Amino acid sequence: MTSYIQKGEYEVMEIDSEWVILNSHAYTVTTLNEVGGYCWKVIENKKTLAEIIEAVATHYSTESELIEADIQQFLNKLIDYGLVKQYAS
Amino acid sequence: MKTLRTKIGGHYIDIQTEFDDVWKIINQYFSCVSIAGNQSDITITITNGYGVSFKDYEVAIEEKLNTITFKRADYFIEVDSEYKWANVAIHDELALKHALMNLYSSFIVYHNWGILLHSSCVINNDKAHIFTGPSGAGKSTAAKLSMPRELLSDEATILKITEESVIAFNSPFRSELKAKGSEKPTSLKSIQLLHQALSNQRIEVKRIEALMKLIDKVFYWSYKPEETKKIMSLLQLLVKQVPVYELHFQKNNTFWELMSS
Repeated sequence: MTSYIQKGEYEVMEIDSEWVILNSHAYTVTTLNEVGGYCWKVIENKKTLAEIIEAVATHYSTESELIEADIQQFLNKLIDYGLVKQYAS
Repeated sequence: MKTLRTKIGGHYIDIQTEFDDVWKIINQYFSCVSIAGNQSDITITITNGYGVSFKDYEVAIEEKLNTITFKRADYFIEVDSEYKWANVAIHDELALKHALMNLYSSFIVYHNWGILLHSSCVINNDKAHIFTGPSGAGKSTAAKLSMPRELLSDEATILKITEESVIAFNSPFRSELKAKGSEKPTSLKSIQLLHQALSNQRIEVKRIEALMKLIDKVFYWSYKPEETKKIMSLLQLLVKQVPVYELHFQKNNTFWELMSS
């Protein structure tokens, strides 16, 4: 099972329910919408993919199957941006 | 050595030099205030004869034990880490202006006081309005078309940013349109991102988008992550208080009809 966690040491700002993540070492800025920001908060501590999907599905009252692909894609993007670490545990 | 005491934004700055040609230039750019009373916040000593004429905007920054240095082909700045004194060596007038903008911008960010924004700033009905955008978008055109309204800046706007307010100050860093000297610090009402167009239109942008679009408009030479964080926090305070608009404008003064809303 794969787990995910924030890489940490980022400045995070919330404006109108949207999020800005500043990686001040790499000088990159990433914006997240509300759902993205919620996902980001969920992986403050190490979480498995299934746990993340369940948390988001519960929070937004939707079915896990409907959001699975989107969440996976979102996490892959954050890994590409250097904001999230992936563990194969 | 001659000393000129000036006030920029909220700070008293002493600029001193032994060189007559440098003295002439600083007297053109900076208005003099009384040297009695307040102690200066920073003392800048300027010498002439450094480097070669302007090559590019590349600034090499080094942080040492007690000082920070900024080096460009045509200027060299050494400032102590508490921004109390600075030595500036310059090649010519352009280098002097750019070096002092570099130093001043770093100084106000160091104090978490505010930012220097690449923009023009116009006063209308006792409120300040900023016009910004990429080179050639019309920052100084918008300023000229706004006459006879008073201008706080035509190139680099000085903004004091706190939790409670955003205030634009008269800027001595100007390209063409000189200050009259009577300009007062003014509360900032709006920021316009400019696009020249065939008809006028003004659309408010989401605050997060506004923040992203303003990042590269700040005059800043970053040398450590903590300072970048300060800029982001200041920009966040800015967009939380002041609305930002995309302004598509014709090259005449009719865009002001959209500005009162």
